[in-house]
Amino acid sequence: MKYIFKVFSVTFMSLILSFSIANASSGVFKVSHDLGFGKDTNLDAITKGRLFQVVIKTQNRLVRPDMNGVPSPSLSTDWSANSDATEWTFNLRKGIYFHDGSAFDAPDVKYSLMRAKDPDIGSPVRKSLNVVEDIEVVDQHTVKMKLSTSFADFPLLLTDYRLRMIPEGSGDTIGQTGVGTGPFMVDKFDPEGTTILKANPDYWEGAPGVAEVHVIAIPDAQARIQALLTGQIDMNRYVPFNQKKIFDSNSKFTTTVIPTGNWRGVVMRTDTAPFDNPKVRKAFRLAVDRQELVDLVMGGAATVSCDTPVMPSDQYRLQMDCPQNISKAKNLLREAGFPNGIELTVYPATLEPTWPTIAEVVQQQVAKAGIKVNIEMVPSKGYWNEVWMKKPVSMTRWNQRPADTILHEAYHSGAKWNESYFKNADFDKNLADARSELDFNKRKKAYQNAQMTLWEQSGTMIPYHVSRLVVTSSKVKNLDAVDHFSIQWHKVKVD
Amino acid sequence: MESNLITEDKQKNKLEKALEILKTMASKPSGLIGLTIVLFHVILALISPYIAPYDYKAISPNTMLLAPSAEHWFGTDSLGRDVFTRTILGGRTALTVTFFGSLIALLWGGLLGIFCGLVGGKIDDVVMRVVDAFLSIPWILAMLLIVSLLGTSTEVLIPALGFFYGKGIVRVARAATHDVIAKDFIVSARARGHSNMSIIWNEIIPNVRDAILVEGAMRWSWMLLGFSSLSFLGFGVSPPTPDWGLMISNARGLMSFAYWSVIAPIVGLSSLIIGINLTADAFAKALGIDRSTKAPV
Repeated sequence: MKYIFKVFSVTFMSLILSFSIANASSGVFKVSHDLGFGKDTNLDAITKGRLFQVVIKTQNRLVRPDMNGVPSPSLSTDWSANSDATEWTFNLRKGIYFHDGSAFDAPDVKYSLMRAKDPDIGSPVRKSLNVVEDIEVVDQHTVKMKLSTSFADFPLLLTDYRLRMIPEGSGDTIGQTGVGTGPFMVDKFDPEGTTILKANPDYWEGAPGVAEVHVIAIPDAQARIQALLTGQIDMNRYVPFNQKKIFDSNSKFTTTVIPTGNWRGVVMRTDTAPFDNPKVRKAFRLAVDRQELVDLVMGGAATVSCDTPVMPSDQYRLQMDCPQNISKAKNLLREAGFPNGIELTVYPATLEPTWPTIAEVVQQQVAKAGIKVNIEMVPSKGYWNEVWMKKPVSMTRWNQRPADTILHEAYHSGAKWNESYFKNADFDKNLADARSELDFNKRKKAYQNAQMTLWEQSGTMIPYHVSRLVVTSSKVKNLDAVDHFSIQWHKVKVD
Repeated sequence: MESNLITEDKQKNKLEKALEILKTMASKPSGLIGLTIVLFHVILALISPYIAPYDYKAISPNTMLLAPSAEHWFGTDSLGRDVFTRTILGGRTALTVTFFGSLIALLWGGLLGIFCGLVGGKIDDVVMRVVDAFLSIPWILAMLLIVSLLGTSTEVLIPALGFFYGKGIVRVARAATHDVIAKDFIVSARARGHSNMSIIWNEIIPNVRDAILVEGAMRWSWMLLGFSSLSFLGFGVSPPTPDWGLMISNARGLMSFAYWSVIAPIVGLSSLIIGINLTADAFAKALGIDRSTKAPV
């Protein structure tokens, strides 16, 4: 009897031990970032220089997009609106703690969101969040948000990847500490070297699958691919499609193609001659053969865009065709007073691997309309500070956002990241009308009118929305096949 | 009449001397190989616009990354452009930029070095310390700074490369001048009241010219490598100009499955560098200069 008890005890203890080992975080998941913000790189999600590869793993939102982009619970468990959608009540998850040990509750929500609206901070997300007039702390686990207008899609706005919850009063230090409620905690922040994140064993969705995440600064795109090939990093989400063959035939890697709303483009500053003339801007955009760009740059893995930033799967996207039209482009240039064409310079950097190729292809395409494009390569480091929104023509890339957010953020006349300095009263009015409209069809019409204005007037040539080629080491398991901001990072494992 | 005859004689002598040097250079296998390679590249650079089978700018999704074939001897690149066309035209760009760059380096570096060697004193001290200061700056960083500020056109690259590769020539020219100025014919020229310019032109240059030319030839191959490095980093000539460094940079990620898009520019660049090095070596030996000690042999 004693022997049977002993055997039973040992077996039971072994089972418990093996269960604990199986559920413990183990292994290191290594990823990279491009150091595009140079010295301004920080961990404050609402600032321009936010290192999102870290922030998305250390901090949570109230509402997050599910695998189909639909708002789903995160730190808020459920929400409801009043009849005209001007007041939204969010119930918060209980028993959640920040990495510094403090409890997450309603004042933290108020602090985090009101801070993003602070004009002194000047967050790029401020413009789209301006609809929030006040946030009332109903009790420790309930907040009520009062809006300046009806907004039926308000929870969609809160899925923005930057609207992360941080401890009340932590604004001065968050840029270095990155404290949040996420699955990983910042152990060492070194933006120009290796930033180390440790697993948060008390994470509310369960302990992460890996013990550490290393986020390594590698500015050059080809160097990042070499780093993946040599095992220095485990994942690269920016592999050009013309290099897919390298990984397809290699059993050490897994490739996944993910259709996204991410886009690349060429931006003309609408406040700078000759691009202050809408005819010149439209001539440039008409001279581009978008399908050829998709084929040459993306190997066919992209969806043509007629200069709308709204993602292909978005319910508000304006569907239209926009084939290359050289004769119309020439006519527009003539009408604008440039019968002999124009000359411009673009400044690609290799931080986005497709930029130099986009520039070269566009250079050949628009030459047919009498537009001479010079290409001057610039360093990757600090591109977003030194070139973007500074030079008359620059290259751009954006991650996907809901229609309302991207239209506000990139084109509204008061937006901080209005990269083309676009100012159009009709466009702004359409956005305002769309927000306050409770009827879906009318709301859709307003958003599409705004997109039509962009097609006629905008300074940003958006040839396509990319499909992302994600390559991971075959050691990496459980990585959701969705865009960056929908991935549930705690589930990732490394063998 | 008599002076015309003397001039003709001088020219004949120069021509004979040049031919003799060439003959000496070609008498050794390494010199012959070097001369042949350089000559081949120069001829190709001159005739390439007329023999290129395709438009070097022509892009097409239908011809992306085609393997070598009868239509495209060296295959096509990731934008569907003919690699053979771009390779032969790429040599033209490299040779043009580096030839004129070397010429500028020789002119300013040689003349400044000779001047410092001749006048000596404080002027020499100050100039040489400035040259030393510039020599301590990594050239690639300085070049990146220049192209970031002024752009990447050939009008910027040629003088900038000429300046950075001329710094070393200043030291060689100065040292060679020091060897010459103690000689009697310089002392007597000074005693005759000749000006510094006259001494430089008539007495020093003919005696230091060979050493400077050999140094210039060597700088040419280094400049070629430097120029291609800049292009590789994306700071050389601007697209769509065909250029070996840029071609290698664009195709390096495709090496494992589209080797043809990268091999041709690599062979072009390395063969030209080897050719110039062998030629410079043979040139030095033909002139009786030991490149390792910079002394006559």
